[in-house]
Amino acid sequence: MERRNFIKGIGVTALSASVLPSILQAEEIKAPTSPNALSYKDALKAITGGKTPAESPDIELIAPEIAENGAVVPIKVSVKSPMTDKEYVKTIHLISTENGNSRCADVLLTPMNGEAYFSTRIKLGKSQDVVAIAQMSDGRFLSAKKSVKVTIGGCG
Amino acid sequence: MQVLLKIKPKTYAMGDVVTVDLIAMHPMETGLRKDKDQKLIPTHYINDIKLYFDNELITTIIGWETISANPYYSVKFKASKEGELKAIIKDNKGESVETKSTIKPRG
Repeated sequence: MERRNFIKGIGVTALSASVLPSILQAEEIKAPTSPNALSYKDALKAITGGKTPAESPDIELIAPEIAENGAVVPIKVSVKSPMTDKEYVKTIHLISTENGNSRCADVLLTPMNGEAYFSTRIKLGKSQDVVAIAQMSDGRFLSAKKSVKVTIGGCG
Repeated sequence: MQVLLKIKPKTYAMGDVVTVDLIAMHPMETGLRKDKDQKLIPTHYINDIKLYFDNELITTIIGWETISANPYYSVKFKASKEGELKAIIKDNKGESVETKSTIKPRG
């Protein structure tokens, strides 16, 4: 074999080796998708209609820093608001950044609630951020974010 | 589906804000789990909860399968008068359960 051809050959094998694994990975990722799959970006768009919610200290999100079991992660959200007919929290949205379906819950409140508060337990597939978005009666969107480390994933 | 509606604390004065807890017995299937024969179990989750006080809608919770199995939901309610608190819980297969409790502030 001539030297020139030999070097060409090395180049081709190196190229194919680098391309192949990425093709295989793409096929592997495709297989399991949630039936209600919705990415974090799309969920955010559906909630705020394109607006970017402002991070605010008025909204408090309590979540564990490390969740040993991703199938049960307790979450508490409370928003500072007088909850009168003129000024109240309309909705509290709970979403996660990496779950197949990033939506968790939408809570529609009324002034009769007295306090803007919602608590539940959610599933997290892996370590990610949990985001709470509150829509106020004047149309503003407030948000709070907290990252949760998950030891064992809880989505199937 | 069994549902438990709880009001905390047990005694409260007129105008106090109480916690309303809802606990349901439900599998909350994500649609990603497989059964013994390696077939996917279809999604099955609670997607609609409505809370009424004397037939007036107070709170709606729209949920997805990302809520844990045997879900727990908690909201607040201002007990400004006596009345009946009612919760209607529906899942994506159309099953609906209704549960009631009374609001009775002391004094």
